Amino acid sequence: MRVRRLLGAACAFAGVLPFAAAAQDIKVGFPMILSGPGALSGEPALRGAEMLVEEVNAAGGVLNGRKLRLIARDTKGAADEAVRVAREMILKDEVNFLVGTFTSAEGPAVSPIAKENQIVFIAPVTKTDQLTAPDKLHPYVFRTASTTTIEGRSAAELAAKLPNVKRVATMTQDYAYGQDTAKAFLDHLKKLRPDIEVVDQQWPKLGEADYTPFINAQMAKKPDAVFSSLWGGHFVTFAKQAKPLGYFDAIKNNFIGAGEAGAIETAKAMGSDYPAGIWANSYDISNWESGPQSHKDYIARLRKFTKDENPSSWPITGYVAMQALVAGIKKANSIDSDKVAKALLDITFDAPTGQITLRGKDHNANRGQFWGLMVMDPKYPFAVMAEANYLEPTKFMD
Amino acid sequence: MEPSFIFGQFVGGLTAAMTLFLIASGLSLIFGVLRVLNFAHGSFYMIGAYLAWQIVQWIGPGGEGFWLAVLGAAVGVAVLGGVIERLLLRHLYRREELYQLLFTYALVLVIADMAKLVWGTQQFGVSRPPSLAGSFQVFDTTVPHYNLFLVLLGPAIALGFWYFLNRTRTGRMIRAAALDREMLGTLGANVDRLYTGMFMLGSFLAGLGGALVTPIKSIIPGMDVAIIVEAFIVVVIGGLGSFWGTFFGAIIYGQVLSFGILIFPRFSSFAVFALMAAVLILRPWGLFGRPISR
Amino acid sequence: MTHRIPWILIVFLAALCVPWLGSRFYTFLATDIAILALFAMSLNLLLGYTGLVSFGHAAYFGIGAYTCAILMQTAGVPFVFSFAAAGLVAGFFALVFGVFCVRLTKIYFAMLTLAFAQITWAICFKWNDVTGGEQGFSGVPLPDLSLMAAIPGLGGFRPPERFYFVVLALVALSFVVLRRIVESPFGRMLTVIRENPERAEFIGLHVRRYELAAFVLAGLFAGLAGALFGIFNRGVFPDLLYWTKSAEVLIMTLLGGMGSFWGPAVGALVLTLLNQQITAYTQYWPLVLGSVLIVLLFVFPGGIVGALSAAARRLRRA
Repeated sequence: MRVRRLLGAACAFAGVLPFAAAAQDIKVGFPMILSGPGALSGEPALRGAEMLVEEVNAAGGVLNGRKLRLIARDTKGAADEAVRVAREMILKDEVNFLVGTFTSAEGPAVSPIAKENQIVFIAPVTKTDQLTAPDKLHPYVFRTASTTTIEGRSAAELAAKLPNVKRVATMTQDYAYGQDTAKAFLDHLKKLRPDIEVVDQQWPKLGEADYTPFINAQMAKKPDAVFSSLWGGHFVTFAKQAKPLGYFDAIKNNFIGAGEAGAIETAKAMGSDYPAGIWANSYDISNWESGPQSHKDYIARLRKFTKDENPSSWPITGYVAMQALVAGIKKANSIDSDKVAKALLDITFDAPTGQITLRGKDHNANRGQFWGLMVMDPKYPFAVMAEANYLEPTKFMD
Repeated sequence: MEPSFIFGQFVGGLTAAMTLFLIASGLSLIFGVLRVLNFAHGSFYMIGAYLAWQIVQWIGPGGEGFWLAVLGAAVGVAVLGGVIERLLLRHLYRREELYQLLFTYALVLVIADMAKLVWGTQQFGVSRPPSLAGSFQVFDTTVPHYNLFLVLLGPAIALGFWYFLNRTRTGRMIRAAALDREMLGTLGANVDRLYTGMFMLGSFLAGLGGALVTPIKSIIPGMDVAIIVEAFIVVVIGGLGSFWGTFFGAIIYGQVLSFGILIFPRFSSFAVFALMAAVLILRPWGLFGRPISR
Repeated sequence: MTHRIPWILIVFLAALCVPWLGSRFYTFLATDIAILALFAMSLNLLLGYTGLVSFGHAAYFGIGAYTCAILMQTAGVPFVFSFAAAGLVAGFFALVFGVFCVRLTKIYFAMLTLAFAQITWAICFKWNDVTGGEQGFSGVPLPDLSLMAAIPGLGGFRPPERFYFVVLALVALSFVVLRRIVESPFGRMLTVIRENPERAEFIGLHVRRYELAAFVLAGLFAGLAGALFGIFNRGVFPDLLYWTKSAEVLIMTLLGGMGSFWGPAVGALVLTLLNQQITAYTQYWPLVLGSVLIVLLFVFPGGIVGALSAAARRLRRA
């Protein structure tokens, strides 16, 4: 594994200078966060896109044998760098399409570049509503990710059904994603359960080193349930500090962890330290027993592709975004961005989790996430989602 | 506010302070004695965390082997620091301080990528050792044993270094070296070796800090730059070259954060910077530092 | 002393030719470099000429970028005024922060500039209503350059290329002004302060006042660079003010050489090209970039320009 990586790096540096691409290749620029804390998700998202490209090319490509070629660049998690690499790929590598970006700053930053260059841009991960807000929407931008609205409302739906919950609190990071999810959650919850009282809101900063003061302050307010959208390593750090403080016991595990707190990466990193009993979400799970055959097949292929028996939950984001692009190219029967952009409106394609439609009115996919109770299962050395539920989000979309 | 609540926040602030002090202590040492702005200190801290995880995997997770892993990680990082000092950094001492900064910044890039090559981009975790897995109650506040251990370890490190720097011969030489490098050389002390030793000691503390936070933090790419600026700030708040200053700087930061969020819930993003600005405006040489000439 | 070669003119003319090379990418790269060169040069007014190390120079770059973007996008103010306002607002903030900073020396000065920069960053990061929060402003419009169509030879260019000419002209103009500043009696006083502040004080110079003036000027030019960058980048984001940006510009300056007027511009050129080339070929760019930086650091002890001019002197003597 390690040797492979080293070799990969060596090749990447020494050899793989752009071979004159066969003229008929369809080039897809993939700006993605590949260094720093976001690489945890960005790297596997890229794997998913690579897997789809391999599958499509093995099946003979698209439009009578034209192969897809992925050109990935590190955005370093910074919006201005995302803009720079996106433009470089358009101007220098002459990519036909852009698929990628990660944070809620990167997506909206790259969107005007796509508009200016009239190139279709599909965002696989960026959740901010801003990306496709009416004043920001243009013909070339699409999203196959979930949104903060969907995520917050799904969580509110869950919270409303929890028994004996009267006092609710939030633990979200003090920046756009945390603020937006908290707002979507609370607004929807107030509609569903007007009797619920919001007793506390904590706003740790993005990348807080120690959450203990926030945890203690929140416990003092004695909430019955908590919503959080701490993501990736932030959730792990938070939960590792909260558990021994008796935080999860105090709220009787009525903890709703958005921000992919139920992702297998998180569960693996925590092992038996995971606060089993909480509710959490994830983009993908590898043990969806009641799911469709297409998902089981996808997981089987992913296992082989990533050589990982319990594969990451992130590849599906890159995979589905690329699926959408391929479907658009096929429907348009062209790689002309104007035609593909029109073809993508109201297009429906078969994603591993079932059919997904890119709505014509706001260019968003009805992309749901898995929600479920996290439990320790003796079959696995880490927590898994019991009775995972793929929440179809259409009813949560405006 | 009830007293028990205030106590809870106080303890929370202490825990936050000590996680920061663990990394800031080594930085303070290198900063104070070698006058090197070591941006790579965060990288050493990250390597300490990864090494601790790696050793725990080798000896089997979940047991008291954790302590062995902590020691191994700290020693490993000290060796790494020693090698870097001997081979590269040493040739920059006579150059402008800024070029040392440029060098350590380049190191940050290199070390981060090395870690990515070896350990990938996934995050890891290490469990608390069984001996400190529990917790106890004081004044309605739950204090995990491991947090108590960290809170006690901080002052122990501070005391140990105070003793070492003030009461031992080597320590006095180190302090002399901080004041006048050339003079110490003419007096026959082996300044080169002293500097290598100090850099290794600072790196050891970084590795120790990285290893000791693994039970309470995610081990993840980017944990190096996430912490370094805050650590620098704590060192500066306390006063350059003052080890106790760093210690109290961390404590003050923890308490300001802990009680600040009660008054201004959105205070966290500003806390450390606002504190530093306030301290430097009121006391331009830090809390425990001495004025330096221009 | 031999003839002074009019470098400023030669570089300007060479840069002017870039859009005729035929690749939009080169123009794009040249715009990026020109703007960052101005940013680095503005820092050098502090670093190289006054001997003050700022760890928070990105604050003024970012303030300029936000000012210009907000004025152009939200208020519809024409580019000329927005650009000027960017410099003035950045200069104003530099004045406010500078008053506190120049009371400090050395590392404490550096850290206080950092503190102010990070506080400004946090405000931009969180103040959704005005700065757009984490997502900043995207879709900043290009200035209306339809007038340029009337200029013979330039009519055929697209708006980004036209904007490049504007950037080039403004950056070159700023260089001329910066050059005037450092060669003026005021500039020479700054050098005296750098060499020996006590002596400067002793001969009756009001050191702090001079330092503050340099700080404000540096902030002003950084703000102008930021204004151009926001438009070039079609968006302004809190990242532009973050400490990593301050570190980047510091590295450009050091790499190029803070001892010479052109050093920072060369540093901006080298670092931008390195970053572009390396990130294009490997996702393991930090490893390669870091190693290259270390090698450069040892090969060019006084920065690239310093080392090159030393070599040139030796050649001339031989």
